[in-house]
Amino acid sequence: MDFKKFRKKSPWLLHYNTGSCNGCDIEILACLAPKYDLERFGILNRGNPKQSDVLIVTGPVTKRARERLIRLYFEMPEPKVVVAVGACACTGGVFRHMYNVLNGVDKVIPVDVYVPGCAARPEAIIDGVAKALEILEKKKKDFVPPKVCKNVEVKEPINRKFLLEKCLGVKNEG
Amino acid sequence: MSLALLITLLSPVIGGFVYGVERILRARMQGRVGPPLLQPFYDFFKLLEKRSMVIHSFHAFMGLMYLLGTWFSLYVLLSGGDILIAIFFHLLSLAFLVVGGFSVRSSYSILGSMRELLHMVAYEPVFVLAAAGLYLITGTFQISQILHSDKLPLLYLPLVFIALLLTLPSVLKKSPFDVAEAHQEIIGGPEIEYSGKFYEAIYTAKWIEYVYAFFFVFLFAGGSWWLGALLVLLSFFLVNLIDNATARVNFRQMVAFHWCVLIPLVVINLMLLALWRS
Amino acid sequence: MEKVVWALILIPWALALAVFISPWHRLRQAITFLSLPVLVYLTYLLSDGSLPLLIHTPHWVSQLITLYDFLLLFYFLYQGLKFRSFLVSVLSLFQIFLLVWVLLILPHREGAELLVDRLTLFMYWIVATVGTLISIYATKYMEQENLERENRFVSVLLWFLGVMNFAVSVNNLEWFFALFETTTLASYVLIRFRWDEISIKNALRALWMNQVGGIAILLAILFAVKYYGVYRFTEILAIKGHLISMVPLGFLAISALVKGAQMPFHRWLLGAMVAPTPVSAILHSATMVKIAPYLILRLSPVIKGTLLAKLLIITTGFVFVSAGLLALTQDNFKKILAYSTISLLGLMMLTGAMGSSTAVLASLLLILFHAVVKALLFMEAGVMEKLFKAKYLEDIRRLVERAPVTVFFVSIGFMSMTIVPYGIFVAKWLTLEEASNFLSHGAYVGSIIFVATGGVILTLLYFKIIGVMTRKREEFFRFRLEKLPFVYLFSTVPLVVFTIVGSIFIALLSTKLINPVVSQVVGSPAPIKALGLTLQTGVSELYGWQIVGAFTLLLIVPVCAYFIHFSGTDRVFTYTCGERVELNLGTYDFLCISQVEPLVETVSVALFVLTLVLGGGLV
Repeated sequence: MDFKKFRKKSPWLLHYNTGSCNGCDIEILACLAPKYDLERFGILNRGNPKQSDVLIVTGPVTKRARERLIRLYFEMPEPKVVVAVGACACTGGVFRHMYNVLNGVDKVIPVDVYVPGCAARPEAIIDGVAKALEILEKKKKDFVPPKVCKNVEVKEPINRKFLLEKCLGVKNEG
Repeated sequence: MSLALLITLLSPVIGGFVYGVERILRARMQGRVGPPLLQPFYDFFKLLEKRSMVIHSFHAFMGLMYLLGTWFSLYVLLSGGDILIAIFFHLLSLAFLVVGGFSVRSSYSILGSMRELLHMVAYEPVFVLAAAGLYLITGTFQISQILHSDKLPLLYLPLVFIALLLTLPSVLKKSPFDVAEAHQEIIGGPEIEYSGKFYEAIYTAKWIEYVYAFFFVFLFAGGSWWLGALLVLLSFFLVNLIDNATARVNFRQMVAFHWCVLIPLVVINLMLLALWRS
Repeated sequence: MEKVVWALILIPWALALAVFISPWHRLRQAITFLSLPVLVYLTYLLSDGSLPLLIHTPHWVSQLITLYDFLLLFYFLYQGLKFRSFLVSVLSLFQIFLLVWVLLILPHREGAELLVDRLTLFMYWIVATVGTLISIYATKYMEQENLERENRFVSVLLWFLGVMNFAVSVNNLEWFFALFETTTLASYVLIRFRWDEISIKNALRALWMNQVGGIAILLAILFAVKYYGVYRFTEILAIKGHLISMVPLGFLAISALVKGAQMPFHRWLLGAMVAPTPVSAILHSATMVKIAPYLILRLSPVIKGTLLAKLLIITTGFVFVSAGLLALTQDNFKKILAYSTISLLGLMMLTGAMGSSTAVLASLLLILFHAVVKALLFMEAGVMEKLFKAKYLEDIRRLVERAPVTVFFVSIGFMSMTIVPYGIFVAKWLTLEEASNFLSHGAYVGSIIFVATGGVILTLLYFKIIGVMTRKREEFFRFRLEKLPFVYLFSTVPLVVFTIVGSIFIALLSTKLINPVVSQVVGSPAPIKALGLTLQTGVSELYGWQIVGAFTLLLIVPVCAYFIHFSGTDRVFTYTCGERVELNLGTYDFLCISQVEPLVETVSVALFVLTLVLGGGLV
């Protein structure tokens, strides 16, 4: 039995705000509310990276948020997709080139779908998630390291704790 | 006996359907369409295929043991043995979840495990007293004989039945008594650190708990099984209604409600009945 | 047979003397080791004989014991004056006064002074196995603590075993008073063993509280002689059916409550933890506090069904719940164990006071398994203290990383007090089913509520501690079992094995070994049957496959935790909302409960007074 098709049927979301103005976050919550009712497609907002498949990121990634974002990315089991929601998350938006932001999610972790808009409309978000699910179905179960880990060797099975320590260069006290 | 074994083996499927129905019911109560009926099974197969991650092997292993323990305790309940033993076996299965939750250095997991124990503190005395009530009516603790008794416990034990209905939210971790899971607060409590296949074990065990909890409601109809089925349906609806209509209380309020409202309710019923009989 | 009984009573005294005078550690250890086979063999000899055995003694023994009584009380008085303890002195004086009065009015009738029945034998078995194991353990413990005073310590422990054997075999209430006060003396000596300020303070507290129990016994003798003209247990049991006055029984019950450290007299047992750990082990398990349920069981045929029994059920049931609640607020490991002992003693007396054959069976099972498990837990507490420097909940965090075997033993001890299918659980289950027969009586409904809530509170308590111990930072890649000294293993492993094997064969144990005791205490055996491993009561069954299944589930855990490592899977860190934080995780301290502690104590005082006044028929 091919279980891959079930990925599409029950994607669980993790939503992370990397310094957004909360416009996009409100829209994401609107999607989950009765009007758009994302649960029709089996989508649940888990709020727990260890049980999520889709990481929805809003905001331009402030320098403070960078490490948190990487850690959340590390904690999600593969296969997983990352959706950048809103102009800020795609490119940095109105915050682009400010001293405290990193200009978009894809500077930090690999992004699969970009949803534009300021703020992104619920329809667009739903569309983006639907696109992400198509990608999710084809994804392999390999770990794709974020940008900061370019020169670090990844050994199977991955000890994510040590890998994270190596990538960030800090001691992890989890 | 073979029926019990069959139901036990199928209990994840039954529980999964119950959970599916519940999600639809909840969505309809909120004016939504809700997921398909088979949604829990989609989740199940998806989780089966995820890459596994563990904190440490003991923790992951305890997740599997929780599933095994719950399954076994359900069989103890359905096999027609002693009802008190079945209640205490549930505690055994809960112990695996709790020890697993305690074994990781995660604040949410530890908080959740502690609250899980407090849930147990809240509902277990009510269950034990309800078992004593069933004994008073049917004259036996053996479930197989309760299920064939010609008396209708519901008639004699209305207050006990109400108390049992009001403990169901706390057994099933439903609002207002869902402090152990509290998704907005401690993100699932003891289950937070599980992922992939190991989370699936916990997820399935929760479905089995549905069968376990509603079987107690079923017992209150004694020998008339159709009425029992009706009671289960009604209580299922009621639990979901309460779940949707109430907000979470804290653990002190939960324990206080169970101890100071429900236990006296049960005791009044039992004592009056026993006095009337003697 | 009589010689065997005297040997059981006197051999521990002789061994104690031998230990006291022997100059070498090895020799002392050897003598202590000897006590186990000797006592077990003697008790075994007695098990074959025909019981009950009534032993008549020459008159001079009685006089000797009276003399000894006075010496003991004057010693207490001296201690009270020496340490300027008002209560101890006054209570000793009062006791001397009462004793003189008792001797003046005591009629001298011929009768057996020693009564050895199956209940006594049951207590002998506990002393001969658990008590001697604790003494053996103490030799090693004292080697690590203070080798110079080891001889005193171990000899007092051995002597205590002899005193306990004597105390449970007397028939004469005046002798019982002497032995009761001797156990008080022994506990006093043991608690102040370290001779620092707090030890002396706690020892004096134990002394005066137990003297209250002594006074209660003396008053009981006075009133028994006044109303019935009797002063022996056998004679008191014979008055069943034509009770004129409950006063003597009420006072005896009060003395049991005091000895059993029931609230509000619980502080002396808590204070005992300042002494070296074997003291706690021996006080909590084999000796001392077990006199309390023993006394209640002795009286249970007479008091069954009376107001006294019902009030005892409510009082001890209240202690069962509230001691468990107060234990939640403690953070000292030994103090937690002490509170849980108080709690379970309450349950033993509750079942004893219920007095029906099934309830007495439950009580005996509780006494047996509690003795074994508490000895085990206190010995492990000593191991943790000496080898791993862990006394508080703070210190035992993540102990499993350092001491997996110890944690395993402690977990078995804790689980055996709450979880299906261990012996104590079976006792609770029997109690619940028995109490369900009497739902029209408030006291019995109360007992169901108390047993159910107290049981879950103890579960909460034990799993709280197991949770703290089993916390781990990460995977063991080089999992290593710690090395324990031989003596520690020798004294703890048999207890663990007994807990598990005894629980698996609970049906056989309770029908073959415990039920004869029940039939002698109550007059009729409990209506239970054993079919293989299955335990059948009149109304329900505990199936063998349930017991075996539960044990399989429980024992898979440590075995697989050792072998299974899921080595092909990814390791990940815990979820902290993405933050990098230094976690310092404790556990709940249940501050909300310590706020109601004064209230709990007030209620317990009120119940205590009610038991005495209403139950004892003082109105």
